[in-house]
Amino acid sequence: MKRITIDPITRLEGHGKITIFLNDDGSVANTYFQVPELRGFEKFSEGRPAEEMPQITQRICGVCPEAHHMAATKALDALFHVEPTSTAVKLRELLYSAFYVTDHTTHFYILSAPDFVVGPDAPPAERNILGVIAKVGLELGGAVINTRKQNHWIIQTIGGRPIHPCFGLPGGVSRSINEEERAQIEEIGKQSVEFGKTSLQVFDDVVLKNKAYLDMVLSDTYTQKSYNMGLVDEKNKVNFYDGKIRVVGPDGKELCKYAPKEYLKHIAERVEPWTYLKFPYLKEVGWKGFVDGVDSGVYRATPLSRLNAADGMATPLAQEAYEKMYETLGGKPANFTLATHWARLIELLYAAERLLDLSRDPEITSPNIRNIPTATPDEGVATVEAPRGTLTHHYITDERGVIKKCNLIVGTTNNYAALFMSIKKAAEDWIKPGVKITEGLLNRIEMAWRPYDPCLSCATHSLPGQLPLEVTIYDAQGNEVQKLSQGV
Amino acid sequence: MKTLVLGLGNPILSDDGVGIRVAREVVGQVRDPQVTVAESSGAGLSLLDSIAGYDRLVIVDAIQTKEGHVGQTYRLGLQDFALTRYFSSPHQLNLATTLELGKMLGLAMPQELTIFAVEAKDVSTFSEQCTPEIERVIPEVVEMVLHELGVRNSKQG
Repeated sequence: MKRITIDPITRLEGHGKITIFLNDDGSVANTYFQVPELRGFEKFSEGRPAEEMPQITQRICGVCPEAHHMAATKALDALFHVEPTSTAVKLRELLYSAFYVTDHTTHFYILSAPDFVVGPDAPPAERNILGVIAKVGLELGGAVINTRKQNHWIIQTIGGRPIHPCFGLPGGVSRSINEEERAQIEEIGKQSVEFGKTSLQVFDDVVLKNKAYLDMVLSDTYTQKSYNMGLVDEKNKVNFYDGKIRVVGPDGKELCKYAPKEYLKHIAERVEPWTYLKFPYLKEVGWKGFVDGVDSGVYRATPLSRLNAADGMATPLAQEAYEKMYETLGGKPANFTLATHWARLIELLYAAERLLDLSRDPEITSPNIRNIPTATPDEGVATVEAPRGTLTHHYITDERGVIKKCNLIVGTTNNYAALFMSIKKAAEDWIKPGVKITEGLLNRIEMAWRPYDPCLSCATHSLPGQLPLEVTIYDAQGNEVQKLSQGV
Repeated sequence: MKTLVLGLGNPILSDDGVGIRVAREVVGQVRDPQVTVAESSGAGLSLLDSIAGYDRLVIVDAIQTKEGHVGQTYRLGLQDFALTRYFSSPHQLNLATTLELGKMLGLAMPQELTIFAVEAKDVSTFSEQCTPEIERVIPEVVEMVLHELGVRNSKQG
């Protein structure tokens, strides 16, 4: 029998392919970045009742189903012209905060920490969560698992199901919570705040106190001066669930601030012949190619961009951490891609604090969880902040609420141009004439990609026959000189 | 033996949903209270939560290999994946690392693991149906899983 050596559960997301072409002297001539495209979602959704969208769209992405569920639910509010009750909004945000705690925890400990805790040049066999736990201790490892588990319990309790919630309805949610559940959520909120503080302490101890790492964070290789996008509340504080979209330049100046339904006035998409990906950019600034600076319409929508686009955090401990970050990085905005990991942990603490606040809200156990829609549906747009970027759902229906047109801008899509530029810059800086191309060097190129945690082809996740990230390098004559893949 | 049959995949992405389709067929044919049948679109740490506490794990999933034929079925064990044990996915953990992490943290991890995989044709078009080639092999995979569980297929009539 043929021996099959593939990895079953590198399941999620696309198989990124980075192709690098070298000049005669061995320096980088061109870099390309390609991913497979999922087809036919628009067609798939046409003809379906809009009420199905919170269930269907959350299947698009294996990583952030809750974000799609929430964006779809809010788009239904807009479509059916109904305001959700105050308790419904709070329950939605409570669930969403729990989701952020789980997602940011996973990202940091599984994806970010190995590079820093174990080391960027450590052998791949050690550069993983097992290596992280070996360094930071079993107790913290247990806390990672426990925090996720507890917050998944919240998602299941409020959302009706684990992972794929089924509680979002136009005008509200499908069930309320009782006092016993509330008390349990409050307890988890307290633990999550402690966990958020601990995680920032880990970052402080491991990264900030290591000069070599801090220098890497601040280095030009991982610096990109692009625009920053993020949802903000009425006080311009970071908000994941609702608000206006604010865009702030790499110079710190506000470019625009708009309601989700105006997104098409501000965002356009650039098509390039070498990839299926479309590259969104800011219309007001215009497409100037894959370049950074205030004259280029390229923007980022990441944890760091959200912090850059806002004036602060709405909770006290996260605000304290926010101020410390900008003080350390030399002011706002911070254009250091690797600082995205730090921003993610500040968001983790914010989500935990928000979760705790909402669990103590006197309205949270109210049975008043839904306003029944009575208006005729026509068109609805809504935006939430998904962990990996601003997520917008836009539906147009007939008068019965049957989908005629559906457009989604998913979190990662916003970052395509910036992500490509980050990879290109890292490749150009690390691959130099005469420098041996090693696994460690590949990892340093990947480190430019990892802060974005791109969901490339959301939900394409059958057992892969190819490695999820592959770098192929060609010489000036077009001959393949090296192919590097992660691990193995 | 406490057993979990886990259908993995995305039920709206053509052949990627084959594991879930199989799980949905299997669930109606298993009476053994020791056997739980579930479906999941998760991975890595999410799986850790699902599989902890079971003695035996049976996974059903789609697969894409370089030389495989569409519809080909495989019965695999953890050793088939051992060489990629330390592979780190863009987002998550692989199965072997997940199991090792669980053990490291003192969770009860399954001692036995079998993976049934189906060579997929299309995993990038949104559809609730699998491609015809894969639809055809679903009953065969259901039988493979039932056989693994020691359940005689009791189709009558």
